[in-house]
Amino acid sequence: MKNILNKIWNSYSIAVVVLAVGIALGLLTPRFLSVDNLLNVMTNASLVAIVGLGMTLAIASGNFDLSVGSTAAFAGCISFSLVPSIGIPASIVAGLMAGAVVGFINGLIITELRVPAFIATLGMLTIVRGAALIYTDGKDLYLFGQTGYKVLSGEYFLGIPTPILLAMGIALLLAWLVNQTRFGRHILAIGSNLPAAQRSGIQTSRVLWAIFSIVGASAALSGMIISSQVLTANGRLATGLELSAIAVVVLGGTALSGGQATMMGTLLGALLISMINNGLNLLNVPIFYQELTVGVLMLGALAVNIQQGFDFHSLLRRQA
Amino acid sequence: MRTAAQGQSSLQANLDWDVLWERFGIATVLLIGWILAVLFVPKFSNPDNMLNVIRQSAFVGCAAVGMTIAIISGTFDLSIGSTLALSAYFGLMVVAKTESVALAMLTAIATAMVVGAVNGFLVTRIKIPAFITTLGMLFIVRGLSFIISKGGEPVRYSGKSFTWWGNGSLLGIPTPFFIFILCSLIGWFVLTRTPFGRYVFSIGTNRNAALVAGVPVTATTTWIFMVVGIFTGISAFLIGSRLYSAGPGLEPGFELNVISAVVLGGTRLAGGRGSMIGTVAACLLYATMANVLNLLHADAFVQRVAVGLVLLLALSIEGIRQRLFERASRRISNLRSETNIR
Repeated sequence: MKNILNKIWNSYSIAVVVLAVGIALGLLTPRFLSVDNLLNVMTNASLVAIVGLGMTLAIASGNFDLSVGSTAAFAGCISFSLVPSIGIPASIVAGLMAGAVVGFINGLIITELRVPAFIATLGMLTIVRGAALIYTDGKDLYLFGQTGYKVLSGEYFLGIPTPILLAMGIALLLAWLVNQTRFGRHILAIGSNLPAAQRSGIQTSRVLWAIFSIVGASAALSGMIISSQVLTANGRLATGLELSAIAVVVLGGTALSGGQATMMGTLLGALLISMINNGLNLLNVPIFYQELTVGVLMLGALAVNIQQGFDFHSLLRRQA
Repeated sequence: MRTAAQGQSSLQANLDWDVLWERFGIATVLLIGWILAVLFVPKFSNPDNMLNVIRQSAFVGCAAVGMTIAIISGTFDLSIGSTLALSAYFGLMVVAKTESVALAMLTAIATAMVVGAVNGFLVTRIKIPAFITTLGMLFIVRGLSFIISKGGEPVRYSGKSFTWWGNGSLLGIPTPFFIFILCSLIGWFVLTRTPFGRYVFSIGTNRNAALVAGVPVTATTTWIFMVVGIFTGISAFLIGSRLYSAGPGLEPGFELNVISAVVLGGTRLAGGRGSMIGTVAACLLYATMANVLNLLHADAFVQRVAVGLVLLLALSIEGIRQRLFERASRRISNLRSETNIR
């Protein structure tokens, strides 16, 4: 019985916490549960979730991508600057491509130059940020009258904002990719034991290129959504996004050691942080308490999970 | 037979080259860079400019000394940017209230040490991985410094005896650089001449082996985070003094600058290997690059690209050499099997 409870807690703890926090905030401020506010919370969650979902793949393969914030800014700027010449749909595709290319370069640096992912993407963080700033000359890019670009952030389907749909769609897609395809199993194999994966004939380099391209494209999408909300893009966009994205993934229960991924967890992790930030706003708590909460939450979640792990092991030992 | 022997000796040469590059590679690059800069960049060789370069290197440098020790032990600390802001804030608050510079320095160092102790506690006792612990503390400490400053008003103080530490000179050499060199000498001594240093290297090389061999892993790890705190506190004091002020938004991204300097200096992220001289050289190299690019009127954006490129270049040398080495050893083993067939 204790075992089963443990198991349920391990897989659904984040969902339980999200529900509990939701109920608590609903009781504290009735406005929290209004449809408009909930959509707002979910939209904000989606912005980080989209990057986080890509990041989940990277972390499942035992890697990180620290360059996502810069990639988001770079892709947002590229996409915005191209709108006048090639139109909105093509420029969104171009933004995605730009992100994927940055990610692909990350992959190449990691596999071909054998730089550890942490350092490779750290280097790319400054390089791509610099490139975005050089490209825009440090100025803001505006899209006057091009409200069609709002397709990325507006409400186009049953009154649900596009970012929410995108986040859900990507979560489903990536969950399918990880759990149902050969590519997904290769990712998890690389994450649990890289040399073993290589020996068993997996073309690890190609898998890593694909992973980092996906991470880059997801970062690009997030960057374009953020800039489409205000129809402004600049090279300073999404600073620090990398660490928030990693925080969301970790909160969702994906282990940093690799070999395992939960897209649902990442979605819920993003939702939890967004809910708490929103709740604190509604309760008139000063904005700088939000960062504090994110940190405490992350450490708390990890501490609880790790202590759970210990209980579980000692339980096994007693039985033996 | 001869081929095999030659192969052996080339392996040996490769290893020596490896160690040499790790210890003195960046120092050599720095020297070459300086010579080129003196020859080709107008105004670089101006003594005031040179002194400015070494002054600028110190602010990242002091924290990098602590981070070198952490990375050699196989861990690292992402929270130091936030810690820097908090301890600089406390330091300035104290000096503004009491006008005592010594007290301010102690406060800055003690604050950062406390943060380090919390990091150490979470990593060793609650057993949260260092990456996540310090990432969480990054948010928490940054939040705290905004809360304590009631929303971001910086504290200011411009007493001469205080600002001298960041802006003044001692015997013609910038004070911060003096402190940086002092810190790195202490760091070097601790790493190479004390039991603590040997523990750091052994934990970084193989944590389990160290544990089995009786190294006090828990205590050492806690101390490592506190040592990182001490050096971050020194950096915080110097930066506060340099700027005459400290706000809670001080230097976001500081942690990544420091880590990239340490890694550029040849310390392996995987742990177990690294040197203080590499870190010092890397900090000087970054400061030199920023200065040269300024003198050449490159804008700040180009500087970012250059910093990233240098980091990637330096780090890929090892990987490229590894590939060449593997290709060579494959050729040797091919040769060997051919001679066996004959």
